[in-house]
Amino acid sequence: MEHKDHVAVITGASLGLGKAMAIALARRGVAVAGLARDAATLQDALADHPIHPVAADVSDPAAVADAFEEIRGHLGHPTILINNAALYPHRDILDETPESFMATVNVNLGGAFACCHAVLPAMVDRGAGRIINVATFADIRPAPLAAGYSVSKGAMRILTKALLADLGDRFPDIVINDWIPGALQTRMGLSDGIPPETAALWGTNLALMNDPALSGRVFERDREHIAPRSFKQKMKARILGQNTAPVRLDSA
Amino acid sequence: MNQTGSVTPEEAARTHWDVIVIGAGMGGGLVGRRLAERGCSVLFVEKGPVGYPAETQGLSTDMDNPMARQMRGYWPTPIEVRLDGKENQFFAPLGSGIGGSSVFYAAALERPEKHDLETVSGLPHPTGGWPVGYDAFQPYFDQAADILSVRGEADPLSETPGLLHEPAPLSTAEKALFDDLRHLGLHPYQAHEAIRRLPGCTGCIGRKCPRNCKMDGRSAGVMPALATGRARLLSECSVLRLDQAEGRITQLSAQTASGLITLTAETFVLAAGALHSPRLLLASDCANSSGWVGRGLMFHLNELFALWPRRGQPVVGATRAIGFRDFYTQDGQRLGLIQSMGVSAEFGVIAAYLKTLLAGSRFKRLPGLDKLSLIIAAIASRLFGNATVFVGLMEDLAYFENRVTSHPDDPDMPVIEYTISEELKARRGLFRRRIRKALGWHRTLMLGFAPALNYGHPSGTLRFGKEPATSVLDAACKAHDLDNLYVADASFMPSSMGVNPSLTIAANALRVGDIIAQAQKTERKAG
Repeated sequence: MEHKDHVAVITGASLGLGKAMAIALARRGVAVAGLARDAATLQDALADHPIHPVAADVSDPAAVADAFEEIRGHLGHPTILINNAALYPHRDILDETPESFMATVNVNLGGAFACCHAVLPAMVDRGAGRIINVATFADIRPAPLAAGYSVSKGAMRILTKALLADLGDRFPDIVINDWIPGALQTRMGLSDGIPPETAALWGTNLALMNDPALSGRVFERDREHIAPRSFKQKMKARILGQNTAPVRLDSA
Repeated sequence: MNQTGSVTPEEAARTHWDVIVIGAGMGGGLVGRRLAERGCSVLFVEKGPVGYPAETQGLSTDMDNPMARQMRGYWPTPIEVRLDGKENQFFAPLGSGIGGSSVFYAAALERPEKHDLETVSGLPHPTGGWPVGYDAFQPYFDQAADILSVRGEADPLSETPGLLHEPAPLSTAEKALFDDLRHLGLHPYQAHEAIRRLPGCTGCIGRKCPRNCKMDGRSAGVMPALATGRARLLSECSVLRLDQAEGRITQLSAQTASGLITLTAETFVLAAGALHSPRLLLASDCANSSGWVGRGLMFHLNELFALWPRRGQPVVGATRAIGFRDFYTQDGQRLGLIQSMGVSAEFGVIAAYLKTLLAGSRFKRLPGLDKLSLIIAAIASRLFGNATVFVGLMEDLAYFENRVTSHPDDPDMPVIEYTISEELKARRGLFRRRIRKALGWHRTLMLGFAPALNYGHPSGTLRFGKEPATSVLDAACKAHDLDNLYVADASFMPSSMGVNPSLTIAANALRVGDIIAQAQKTERKAG
């Protein structure tokens, strides 16, 4: 499939990495729709770029359904979904209420699922598609003040695995990955982090890869993340000749 | 597959159908298509789901959640096998959905020979011969081959080449292997396959084809039947029993998601597969005056072996292209054809094979067996990387004692009682010796230890025959005991033949379709 035949949807497109990825994909000829909660910010962010802005709160399933209806009308069925929208409230768990906790979960996890739910029927019809969940390692070692974020982002990685458990064998060409972009120089990240434009290039490269063999593999920053293995696993991989170099995302 | 042609249970129950076909696999699909094309109203009743057209899953024998299995078109339960008295449960390669097992098959549509159906000189038929001879079947083999777009090369040893489309061109390595086999005095031909090789074809062997390029019970049966507008499909509906009165089936009861329903038709066709059709008759207590329902169960014996290329020859690896029938019969004994497997002999294939093999062997209680099979498979995959895997399909013969029944705790679960006979062991020994002698002891490795039954090839459990005392069906595949019950799956075969069963199932289904259509026409005229 050529770039111009793709329709990509990126959530959280008004700021930081989401915005940078929307722009980078549009530059490569992909038809892009950018989702964000606030219409005005989104308009401002994407005004100079050929990107279709759609204002929607991903934690609201009805709003997500409407947003994808509009995208289908304007651009056609999405072939690429990048679940990027996330809330990262810094809050002591003693100050977290069930409502505030679930508000974060509903965006970070519920939003990702709602968007998958919106794009999957057409992907299943075509037997092909691309889903990238922008994730973190926060599930492995949650930072202080990040209960809602760590739990929901961790669960998002399980969502990736659950999607593959149900779809991987039936629709191998719906290629699904976690991508952990690393600490970025964004509002959510660090002041000395990676510039979002740099990370966006890796992310777009990953979004445009559609080899079914990549499905389920985890990518971190500009390359494949190989999980630590035991000595036995290393030996087995060696005997079977399954040791391969990690896939890289930094060449265009 | 699109949903066009599907009906709800309520809609299905409101209609009195010309024909209800139970099971929408290879047999059911083709008999339904023939009947619909001849003007009958047809309802397919299928236990499994419609599925998604773009699905490409293979038939997993590991996945154990019954719902997840059923959704994917696999038979939901394991089968219980009492092999030589030893009990074992595992998932067999059996489909349950539109197209049945055939959507997962390797599309090997090999034509049987005259001796498979009747006595020829020097080779008496074990049943004395099918009630319908080879010449009567011949036009239906041709029709089935045409409908299923079978392509391949005529077997140079056969007198009845049959109708075939041009096969796909061979690769250089495959050509070298053909030459190699000819050099050994064998007679290879391009194996007969029902894959149209349309643009984008990835050769969907062992898995669902997303582009209607592989011809099977779904693409060549159910879908064209629905396209006539005269056939309808009721999926996710399990038939529980058939009711009879005065020598006729009057109705069937079935379970759907929305509850129990009863369905009526003039004629009922049982095509649920050789492990399931007889169980439905046993549960309904019908058509069994002979006592043969569920009995005479046969499988093929799979004889797997790896063949390394001659020194200096190119490596072929996975190919489906080759068949040869040099050992089809030997010394007046029925053996079978040999074909290349179409799977690369990689780690997973060998590991799965070994696991099945060991699970059924006397080593099964050894601790760490799984690990051992993985290690053997790892070493083997290194070795076999260069070998081509072949399978010899050896004919099994029918015995009254070998049978299928239902598990008392789970009516969905087939229970198979099977004893490996001495004559089967003897023929297997002969088959293996001939294979290794012809191909060279140093270049081949037999991959089996114990006899390996092919649980994907059950047949014979509602055998047809001339004598009502020793068969369930008559020559028309109508139950001897009932006026309006026919069978169109592999159950009808009184002998298992030395070739893959699909073409014969398809041919017989077309034949049965013609018989029913003709009978209904005659009745309408009379009525």
